[in-house]
Amino acid sequence: MMTNRFSKHKKAIATAAAAALLSSIALPAQAATPASALVMAWNIDAISTFDPAQVGEVVTNELLQNTCDSLVDFDPKNESKVVPLLAKSWDVSEDRKQITFHLNEGLKFPSGETATAKELAWSMQRVVALGYGNAATLTEYGFNKDNVKDRIVAKDDNTLVLTLDNPYPTNLILQAIGANRVSALLDQATLTKNEVNGDFGNKYLATNTACVGPYKLAQWNAGESIVLQANEDYYGEAPKLKRVLIRHVAEPGTQRLLLQQGDVDIARDLSPDDLADLDGKPGLKVERVLKPQLFFWTFNALDPVFKDEKVRLAMRYLIDYNGLGQSVMKYLGVPRASFAQLGATGALDAEEGQPFKLDIEKAKALLTEAGYANGFEANVLIGTLPHSAPIAQSIQQNASKVGVKLNLERMANAQLFARIRGREFQTGMLAWQTGVPDAHGNASRLVYNPDNRPEAKLTQIPAWRSAYQNEEFNARVKEALLEGDPAKRNEIYSKLQKDVMEKGPMAIMFQMYNILGMSDKVQNWTWNGFRVYYDLASK
Amino acid sequence: MADLTHSVPRSDAGNRTKPNPVLVVLSILGKTLLPVFVTLFGLAALTFFIGRMLPIDPVASILGDNATQEAYEKMSAALGMDKPLWYQFGVYVKGILSFDFGDALTTGKPVIDDIARVFPATIELATLSIIIGTGFGIPAGVLSAMYRNSWLDNAIRFTGLIGYSAPNFWLGLMGLVLFYATLGWIGGPGRIDFIYEFDIEPITGFYLIDTAIVGNWEVFRNVFGHIILPASILGFGALAYISRMTRSFMIEQLSQEYIVTARVKGLSWARTVWIHAFRNVAVQVMTVVALSYAFLLEGAVLTETVFAWPGFGRYLTNALLVGDMNAVVGCSLLVGVIFVTLNLICDLLYRVFDPRTR
Repeated sequence: MMTNRFSKHKKAIATAAAAALLSSIALPAQAATPASALVMAWNIDAISTFDPAQVGEVVTNELLQNTCDSLVDFDPKNESKVVPLLAKSWDVSEDRKQITFHLNEGLKFPSGETATAKELAWSMQRVVALGYGNAATLTEYGFNKDNVKDRIVAKDDNTLVLTLDNPYPTNLILQAIGANRVSALLDQATLTKNEVNGDFGNKYLATNTACVGPYKLAQWNAGESIVLQANEDYYGEAPKLKRVLIRHVAEPGTQRLLLQQGDVDIARDLSPDDLADLDGKPGLKVERVLKPQLFFWTFNALDPVFKDEKVRLAMRYLIDYNGLGQSVMKYLGVPRASFAQLGATGALDAEEGQPFKLDIEKAKALLTEAGYANGFEANVLIGTLPHSAPIAQSIQQNASKVGVKLNLERMANAQLFARIRGREFQTGMLAWQTGVPDAHGNASRLVYNPDNRPEAKLTQIPAWRSAYQNEEFNARVKEALLEGDPAKRNEIYSKLQKDVMEKGPMAIMFQMYNILGMSDKVQNWTWNGFRVYYDLASK
Repeated sequence: MADLTHSVPRSDAGNRTKPNPVLVVLSILGKTLLPVFVTLFGLAALTFFIGRMLPIDPVASILGDNATQEAYEKMSAALGMDKPLWYQFGVYVKGILSFDFGDALTTGKPVIDDIARVFPATIELATLSIIIGTGFGIPAGVLSAMYRNSWLDNAIRFTGLIGYSAPNFWLGLMGLVLFYATLGWIGGPGRIDFIYEFDIEPITGFYLIDTAIVGNWEVFRNVFGHIILPASILGFGALAYISRMTRSFMIEQLSQEYIVTARVKGLSWARTVWIHAFRNVAVQVMTVVALSYAFLLEGAVLTETVFAWPGFGRYLTNALLVGDMNAVVGCSLLVGVIFVTLNLICDLLYRVFDPRTR
């Protein structure tokens, strides 16, 4: 009976099976990227605006660097050196308080209009007027809403004069302001035309770029893709590749598949496991460069336990720098204990900048000296960075050997930042990135704390978040900043780094890589810790 | 979510005086729409207050780690976050009434524009998925019930179990490895190959329809090659649910006496099953399908992530992660509207298909 009934439905079942097969008809896969374009898979979720005055995250920063030229540029081969860009040359006054930039001729906006020093002065004043986070780049060196119009002046169409309040090292100013997005040259006419409620065109720049650069933003589908198109009348050397296509792919595994299939040339967010697996595979290569980002374990100096610098030093001896560096961090970064990142002016070299190693005995001795022979219990806040948990667990294990019980508390990054900024933590792990290849960049944030009172709310300064203030360190940071002799300056930083490693409020653990997987068809991929040069890449 | 149980309207046969038709219409509208508004208002209030109470700092996620306190406070004020909660909610509700859901923090654009951008991608995927899920799920469920405990029934139930229990995330990656990376049968992640991406003129936002309208079959094939795998995987999940429910509804019907009567009358087995028994469960199956469709429309975040599908689920999840509450509340309201609307449509279909409610 059953078989009989069943046979009547054979046809239906066969049809269903055929339909199932048909629905997966073989379709040819596209397996090559265009020769004139660079195709990248990248998680571009963080993009929310292209306004150089507002942008504060790495993806848009990289895109802006390739669409909006700044006054000067980082040397591709040596990030601490500065080379001409919009400005072909510059003079420095004797007292080092005035820099006169001579701009290239023939600068043109994508609209076809001529770009001059006047628009550049306006663009830089605009950053201060708008007052987003990036304004700090300028206000830190004495520019403010009241004086910026007198201190950033276009003398004529090709000359821009910057007047400083102090004799800062010129190279630092060139790095911090000249090579930064705050000196991007914006199309004043277009932005003024599109102004909404006196926003200097901020709304317009949420979805457009309007500056002088090798590429221009041709298309942006939020959460989907970006197309950069080479600018026809760029004043500099024309980019080798006509277009840069960026496809939003959030999942690293998917990026890997796309790269292996040849559907993208570059995958930007591969996991360490994928990188290890792809490294050395035919047709592919892994490229890496150290970026100015440090991953550290920060201690709250208001905490009765961690206010003791001996305890903080003991914690440093519980970190297995080498073991972690060769395992978890192999494709993520290198061990680094100094606040000045490798590649920065004034930074200790790799060996001197990381003198620590896992030493349980030493940690135990230090804790005993501090009065914690039997250890203590403490919380460690960690975010969702993939390496946070394994590093914290490794330290937790080592700490248990000296009686220190560390409780790991994992949370969303936004929550972690809020806790740390609000000083509501005992210890926590997070990353910090500086904007200048100079020891001052981090000295001014990770060491210098001008006002430790809670109501000062210097939340942008990690040293303040750790409630750590050392007047002597403060004085040395200031002294180094204004020291005119580079050799003496390096000397101050060298000593400061060594002292801060022993006493500072955070155990710096790793300097991170910028790392990616790439098809070997891509040639001349050029980058350093501060900049990726799309225009130099070729295929 | 909204209540999916449906009551059969009581007969008004005893009522002799004819009521005022305007009043009748008003009362029907009131009965249907009032609960809808109350539901949506409750949803908005709940999401809004929960969102504001979460220990997530949206200002820090916009401004980044380097921002000064001054910039922080300025942004906080610009977002209205320095005002009391009830005031913020009032402003929000006032905005909603004029279809202004505020600007999303992450994209800087109005939430409504963002949703208009991401939702078509999800509707397209969900619709194809539900077609696959229903197209295979109902026949599979009916066959399973007909040949209860046979090898066919076991095979269908086992397949359903996989669809039920295997994570879509894993199925998606495995599917990509097999069909895209190894066999090269289908297009990779994303809605379309990059080279075609800017060939599409957005008309409806549904790529399959947009390419079909202009007759660009080359691009249509490409789009189809991209959507078929995620749609099949989501459809597989729906299939598992639909076939299981259909099976149990049908088993109940097939054990009824009227089936025996029909067979005794000499009706063929197939006719008895499809014309008599299935018709009786059609309404219940419809509810199951509608519910599955609603879940698919919410956006499948993991599948969307694996397939780099720029859809609603990923948008909502991203918004949640950075504490972009305007986007979260806007999206939650949309999900609410979807459920309520599908519920209403179900109600209407009941009246059409179920003779008892006529």
